[in-house]
Amino acid sequence: MLRIELTTQLLRVRTLVALACLAAVPVLAGLATAPDAGRRNGTQGGLFGAATYSALNHTMASLAFTAPLLLPIVVAMLAAAVGSADRDWGTLRYLYVAPVGRGRLLAGKLAAVAVTTAAAVLSVLVAGLLSGVAVFGWHPLRIIDAADPGTGDAIGRVLAASGYTLLCMLSIAAIAFALGLLLPRGAEALGAAVAFVVAASILNAQPALHSVAVILPVHYWQDWTPLFDPQGTARLAAGAMAQVATIAVATAVSGLVLIRRDPAA
Amino acid sequence: MIDAHELSKRYGRRPAVEGLSFTVAPGQICALLGPNGAGKTSTMRMLVGLSAPDAGSARILGEPVCLGAAVLRRVGVLIDGPAFVPHLTGTANLRLLWSATRRAWPPPALDDALDLAGLGAAIDRKVKGYSMGMRQRLVLAQALMRAPDVLILDEPANGLDPAEVRALRDHLATAAGQRAAVLVSSHQLAEVQQLATHVVVMHHGRLVTAGPLADLLRDAGAFRVEVDDTAAALAVLRGMPGVTSVAAPDPAAGGEVVVTAPDVQSSDLVQALVTAGVGVTSARRATRSLEDAFLAMTQATTGGRDDRAAH
Repeated sequence: MLRIELTTQLLRVRTLVALACLAAVPVLAGLATAPDAGRRNGTQGGLFGAATYSALNHTMASLAFTAPLLLPIVVAMLAAAVGSADRDWGTLRYLYVAPVGRGRLLAGKLAAVAVTTAAAVLSVLVAGLLSGVAVFGWHPLRIIDAADPGTGDAIGRVLAASGYTLLCMLSIAAIAFALGLLLPRGAEALGAAVAFVVAASILNAQPALHSVAVILPVHYWQDWTPLFDPQGTARLAAGAMAQVATIAVATAVSGLVLIRRDPAA
Repeated sequence: MIDAHELSKRYGRRPAVEGLSFTVAPGQICALLGPNGAGKTSTMRMLVGLSAPDAGSARILGEPVCLGAAVLRRVGVLIDGPAFVPHLTGTANLRLLWSATRRAWPPPALDDALDLAGLGAAIDRKVKGYSMGMRQRLVLAQALMRAPDVLILDEPANGLDPAEVRALRDHLATAAGQRAAVLVSSHQLAEVQQLATHVVVMHHGRLVTAGPLADLLRDAGAFRVEVDDTAAALAVLRGMPGVTSVAAPDPAAGGEVVVTAPDVQSSDLVQALVTAGVGVTSARRATRSLEDAFLAMTQATTGGRDDRAAH
């Protein structure tokens, strides 16, 4: 079933265009900041200030730029499509009579959601790395106002940041997938998922609503950026737990929806 | 074999199917007939596990059917019209639905199925560019490519031209000849009359009749007798014991009378006419078209229901 889902979703022109748009962000940012290659990016600090020092810096800055909105929107689009497309096309009934059971169908779709989400995150990372190498060169990771971390430390931080962001994206993917199964049309699921990201981001920016924001997965999405601050540590455990809990709840909801929904509908 | 036993299904408070029982044996082509809203598609959905019956059971090849039941691997299905992944080619769509069953490509009857589909080079074009007829032929190929022991086809002739309908008819007859059990629903009664060996007629979710098509079309106890003197024949037959009605359907054309005499042999009718000096060219049992039979049954059922509703 995974191969079927990947054939129908990952190889769609729409999907490839979306992934290309994600990949274009680091490329365009690299070109825009090329004049500052090898020195600080203007007067900015943190990840964006150091983006022009090296390919790894540029990659992490690209991830930080896309992770709050663009990356989750693309991930939500792909996951909502996995949840809803075969119902939109009417092919779901032919899968059931092929026959494919509900459990196998759900497992295949969840695996496809994970693969497409990883593909989206990798699009940013790979494009960032390649464009960074081309524009800024392969140099050690730089952190403003701090000594350069060693190679192992730098790789550890990059992997932690990438893995954590992937986990965060899997949580919005799980939500969008559940919405894709629940709502009548894929477009409605995508709209609802994007509305959730935007509304959660707005809530997260309101200090008065902090007690509400902490229960939303979006609240923790940028928790990895302190990995590239001078102190070099980040509290990722709470965020990781929030994402895992979100994924578990959304997956359970998906299973319930699939079991309760009329397969012929 | 297809076995529906006391199937019932409600959608909210509206009954779609009530206590429906019938069987389709290997080698039979059974037409599931009924007006719009009779419950044909609901019945077919239950037969392929897409819908769970509220009461009763559906079995295929002796095994109970539920969503994703393993026995469905031996069933070719067309239900609720064709449906494909639009951005994939016809071949890719067939591969996709076949690979979902975890079996190696190609399916056993792929070539025959593609011959029937007759899509030629279009089979390697994206389905979103297909016409309605092409989609219908592709979904038929999908159902037939697995060389199924059972075929359940909802309106299989939709969108097909006369030559394609004839090819489909031949294909289904061949399948039935190879001991497949075939159930088709259709509104094209003339087509069904040429195709089916058996019929199940539904109305308002209930069974009206089920059995061999020939029995349904036979006008009980009616004969068509060609004579050389219509007026004399009418007079002779009206006076004959056991004859309940006699008519000349087209007096202007002359020559033929229709006699209803349930307990009289045709040879007795001929003997009475010849004895009275009326020349008889032929005498044969009268049949009616499927359309006539269908309308008579469904309108009678509607009338009965309406009468009950009025009270």
